Amino acid sequence: MTDRSRVRARVVDGLLIAMMILPFVGCILLKILFTPASEGITIAGPQIYLTVPMPLQPLYISESTVVSAAVVIAVIGLCLYLTHGIKEVPDSKRQLVAEFIVEKVTDFVGENMGARFIGFAPFVTAILALSALSSMSSLFGLYSPTSDINIVAGWAVLVFILITHYKLRGGLGNYLKSFGDPIPIFYPFNVISEIATPVSMTFRHYGNILSGAVISTLIATVLAKLSNLLLSLTHNFYIANIPFLRVGLPAVLSLYFDVFSSVLQAYIFAMLTMLFISGGYPEEAVEKRREKRAAKKAAKEAKKSEEAAAKQ
Amino acid sequence: MKGPLFFALAAEYLDVIYINIWSIIVSLANLLILYLILKKLLFKPVTKVVSARREKVDGMLREAQEAKEKAEQDRETYAAQLSHAQEDAAEVMRRAAQSANRTGDEIIRAAETRAQEMLKRADEDIAQEKKKAVNEMKEELSGISLTIAEKVVGREIKEQDHKKLIDDFISEVGEDHE
Repeated sequence: MTDRSRVRARVVDGLLIAMMILPFVGCILLKILFTPASEGITIAGPQIYLTVPMPLQPLYISESTVVSAAVVIAVIGLCLYLTHGIKEVPDSKRQLVAEFIVEKVTDFVGENMGARFIGFAPFVTAILALSALSSMSSLFGLYSPTSDINIVAGWAVLVFILITHYKLRGGLGNYLKSFGDPIPIFYPFNVISEIATPVSMTFRHYGNILSGAVISTLIATVLAKLSNLLLSLTHNFYIANIPFLRVGLPAVLSLYFDVFSSVLQAYIFAMLTMLFISGGYPEEAVEKRREKRAAKKAAKEAKKSEEAAAKQ
Repeated sequence: MKGPLFFALAAEYLDVIYINIWSIIVSLANLLILYLILKKLLFKPVTKVVSARREKVDGMLREAQEAKEKAEQDRETYAAQLSHAQEDAAEVMRRAAQSANRTGDEIIRAAETRAQEMLKRADEDIAQEKKKAVNEMKEELSGISLTIAEKVVGREIKEQDHKKLIDDFISEVGEDHE
């Protein structure tokens, strides 16, 4: 490798690392610039940066939208960084990391969905990365996109579309009939449970992350008030405003709510996605349908050849 | 947007729970885009490289196995060849001796034949030479006897007249001589 190409590789690496970090920096700057100084602690939804008039409902460019876009860009940067200079014989740690990720997720998907759905590995990785990183963006003081119901609902809708798509592989009749299982009286309940799948996925994820944020905020507020109460004994305005009790406990809570809970919810969402998609796949019906089609085709061809023979 | 940047006095917030169809669609698209990106930028190159490496390693293993099998085969072949080599050598020696014997016999036979032929020809030559010498002698003798007869008789004998007579005589003499 020549010096010049090495330098070029270094520059590309630097740019890719910047691509991972800069979106979050931008988000933080945006938040700082748009948030008035004397806001205090509030529990509210994402801040609106821009409102675009659209039919039905206005499109909000809110903090959650911006942060999730930042996450997507950062993941692109990460992918490019990990696979930059990939070789048949690995000589860099990042290639090992990339191979580790790919191998683990592929194994994970293969274990939970079977070999037929091994192509879902990138999708599951996307869910894991997007969900975990979105939730963890609260570590930078940003609004977690996953505590916005619409963001998680979008993913759940996509998962629901996929579930339905794979269920329809067994034929529309089979799909409609499957709701009357085990007895026809269950039909409405099964329909409701089918619709409840994405809704429950959405609420589980969104509720966990939002509640974590709310609890963190409440505890921080309480601790500030408590320290204020204690220090007001000094009768000094400036000393009384030092929230010394906030040191310690919020950090531990952040470790749980921002890191552990984020990863856990991402894992749960990915797991449910895999189980619902592979579990809903009507393998027997698909097999039957395929056989039927093959038989039909064979019969058609036999008829055709017979006609041809008769002509001759 | 309420005010210009840097002078935002009151931020506008959405509710904690709100439903916005466009947000949902944007988020769905985000996940879809991320899926495609991961597939193209992470899974594809890594899978390619890993499978290429696996193929290479498999190829190497297969080659090693093949080489080992071939070496084993060669060893067996050589051992078998070695054991046969002595037999072959003996066979070759025997054949060579046989062929040498045969050639020697042929040469001797040819030489004998040739010698006999030469002897036969020599005999023939001798017989011819003898005949020739006899004829010459007869002629000379007839001449001598004529001369002697002339001298004895005193007169010339006409050769034509007495040729027959002399010849008869000579042949009688020759017969006696022979």
